[in-house]
Amino acid sequence: MRRKTTLLILVFVFALVAAACGGGTTEGTDATEPLTTAAPSPVFEGDILDAGGCDYGGRIDTIKALDEFTIEFTLCGPHPAFLAQIAFGVFGIQPKEHLEATSGAPLDNPVGTGPYSLKEWVRGDSVVYTRNDDYYGKIAPHTTAVLKWSTESAGRLLELQSGNADGMTFPGPEDYSTIENDATLVLLDKPEPNVFYLAFTNTFSPWDNVDVRKAVALAIDRQRIVDTFYPPGSEIASHFTPCSVENGCEGESWYDFDIPAAKALLAGAGLADGFETTIYYRDVTRGYLPTPGNVAADIQAQLKANLNIDAEVVVMESGEFIQASTGGDLDGIYLLGWTGDYPHITNFLDFHFAVTNPQYGDPYPAIYEPLKTASEMISAAEAAPLYEQANNAIKDLIPMVPIAHAGSAFGATTHTEGAYAPPWGQVMFNFWDNGTDTMVFVQGNEPISLYCADESDGESLRACAQVVEALYSYNQIGDVQPQLATSCVPNDNLSVWTCSLRQGVLFHDGSKFDANDVIASYSAGLDASSPLHTGNSGVFSYYDYLWNGLINAEG
Amino acid sequence: MLSRRKIAEQLETAAADSSMLLERPISQWRLTIRRFRGRKSGMIGLTIVSLLILMAVFAPLLAPFPPNEVLIGKVDVGPREKPCVHLLGCDKSQPQHILGTDGNVRDEFSRIIFGARVSLTLGLFTVTIALLVGSTLGAVAGYAGGWFDNIIMRIMDVVLGFPSLLLAIAIVAVLGPGLQNALIAIAIVSIPAYARVMRAQVLAIKETDFVAASIALGSSARQILIRRVVPNALTPLVVLATLGVATAILEAAGLSFLGLGAQPPTAEWGSMLASERNNVFTSPHLVFFPGIAIMITVLGFNLMGDGLRDALDPALNK
Repeated sequence: MRRKTTLLILVFVFALVAAACGGGTTEGTDATEPLTTAAPSPVFEGDILDAGGCDYGGRIDTIKALDEFTIEFTLCGPHPAFLAQIAFGVFGIQPKEHLEATSGAPLDNPVGTGPYSLKEWVRGDSVVYTRNDDYYGKIAPHTTAVLKWSTESAGRLLELQSGNADGMTFPGPEDYSTIENDATLVLLDKPEPNVFYLAFTNTFSPWDNVDVRKAVALAIDRQRIVDTFYPPGSEIASHFTPCSVENGCEGESWYDFDIPAAKALLAGAGLADGFETTIYYRDVTRGYLPTPGNVAADIQAQLKANLNIDAEVVVMESGEFIQASTGGDLDGIYLLGWTGDYPHITNFLDFHFAVTNPQYGDPYPAIYEPLKTASEMISAAEAAPLYEQANNAIKDLIPMVPIAHAGSAFGATTHTEGAYAPPWGQVMFNFWDNGTDTMVFVQGNEPISLYCADESDGESLRACAQVVEALYSYNQIGDVQPQLATSCVPNDNLSVWTCSLRQGVLFHDGSKFDANDVIASYSAGLDASSPLHTGNSGVFSYYDYLWNGLINAEG
Repeated sequence: MLSRRKIAEQLETAAADSSMLLERPISQWRLTIRRFRGRKSGMIGLTIVSLLILMAVFAPLLAPFPPNEVLIGKVDVGPREKPCVHLLGCDKSQPQHILGTDGNVRDEFSRIIFGARVSLTLGLFTVTIALLVGSTLGAVAGYAGGWFDNIIMRIMDVVLGFPSLLLAIAIVAVLGPGLQNALIAIAIVSIPAYARVMRAQVLAIKETDFVAASIALGSSARQILIRRVVPNALTPLVVLATLGVATAILEAAGLSFLGLGAQPPTAEWGSMLASERNNVFTSPHLVFFPGIAIMITVLGFNLMGDGLRDALDPALNK
């Protein structure tokens, strides 16, 4: 009897051990069930985004989920800036199921994998985040982060001075000394590459005459503008692209201030007595244009004093201005600028001077042809002569006049550890430690929506970045680093990129991150025929711009 | 018993007194002026308004610089310099700018002075348009009555249903920003007030005996309205118009502050205030002085309007 009992116990123990060992080899099966009856491992069905070729003119041919954690981007040509581009926040990844549940418009309820989940968006007041305790990266030292906004930099500074905020974006030029002289505050240099320029559309008279454009270029005292209206660290633009961007300053420097030459050119164009025009701008402060009203008024004064050009200043609503200026619909001079989205010269030159951009009117082949060739070259050194050629053509044809590369900064309280202002991408609040449970950051405006695939303003992108992550990201000094991908490896000519995804990552809604979420997120942005291609405005401008056009777009 | 001579003397004196009375009748307006003079606040208002008008008229003589002249390279000053008055101890090596310079390195004092031109012109033109249109509509509606009165006054009620500045913003949004369009917008939103007051006056006056007498004498409706009714209804409108100038200036400054009124480089107090609002802590004088200019102007017209109202109100002068 005792023998039988011992044998029974041994069999039972053996069964337990066998069952326990078997669980490790049959993933996804119930370890308590006999091995013979275990359910088969669910086969991962990888999705694909297929453009059906490259005839549509865009960069993407296919994006394919090779397995649960591998994605293959097949491009229509070499793309040296691929990693820098996919690190841009608009290409954030959200769960496929969530995108489907929100019909492709998670405008105020984004779900991501970032260091915070969204707690609530109090319209007109703040966005409140809760720490993601399961985050695979640096976990925030505080449980709550609050993003507030104040249009005026003086208002933001007041929040900082009063202790209501730990950090702020873009102090006004006149506030730099205030912050520097305040022992409780610190100025964080933000070496973001940007450019402020005034531009013309060559389909309107008299801007169809290159001599008129050149006269204006020569008659604007750019140094005076920089000295009077820009913060320390700013400089006049020698080229459209800042020199901190590789190949940005290839070619000749911009023209010097020369009123007699400008007058002679205008006289040669038959406009010796000047003419009437309009200066359009939007009254929105940007790093590249900290005081738009003052600068517009000064350019107006300079044009009158130097060339007898009577320019009426017209302030336009921001959205209307962007649409009209970038669409080439403004008949006068317009003041615009650009802050780099990703650290590559294509983000400056190709974006602005590509054949598809109607901003300056009829495109200039002498500019866009070398740019197109250069953008597909693998080596930056080999591309340098082409960028020199393009920059020289920009100087000769003058589609715009580059004025300044602005210095910019953030402000923070001294007691906040880890405060920083990145040159690229968005500041991440999980690195800021003010020693309390709540960290508050104040920016210039309220986000437009929290679905940043279809937004382009920095305020929205900053709000989204805390929640939603892309395959790559920019670190604190602006270098590209893996994020939801652990690596992306190209083929020899940089036209096929295979990305391995981070495993074991959970979205804030508890769902598991996998390759199909990447396909769904990219489809929502890129594929105009996708039921998920809804967004806020439905424009998906960055998908359109940066991938050279949407798939299945009408017209 | 009085002697003949005595009686003759008394008659002569009486005749002289009566002739004096006939020669120097005290008109309603003279009486009003006399009463107005007796009101200190009204006189202060009149003084302020008079000084403002003088400032506006002689702006080129008073202002040390043209209002839109950028002083970079001409005078050794930078943007947003603090006020420098040599008499008040500012170092004589510094160029004198009584109210400092603005963000575009223009003399703030000169711009404030020229700003008076814009504000006064805008206020007066706006009120004139509103007064003409409003009082005409009100007079016709009140005298004609019936369906015409109903239609006009319901339209006025609809316009009055909107907050005036909000409606002005909406109108400018349609017409486009600019001083001229701001003027039109403010005039439109001001019309109902004049129409209502005029109508109320007409309704009261048309029941009076002298109007009935005119009708009996065979005067036409137009003659009665123009010669009998309107002149007698003007008193409250004058008060309303004076106070209306202040409101119009304030609303114009509000529109300019929002970027819908005067456009750069026009020196207008509202837009001057708006363009420097972000520097309220670092250069408070650039917000303070245009604000003070608006306040003084509005105060001046309000005090003057109040004084006029008191002077014209028979009940207050018994």
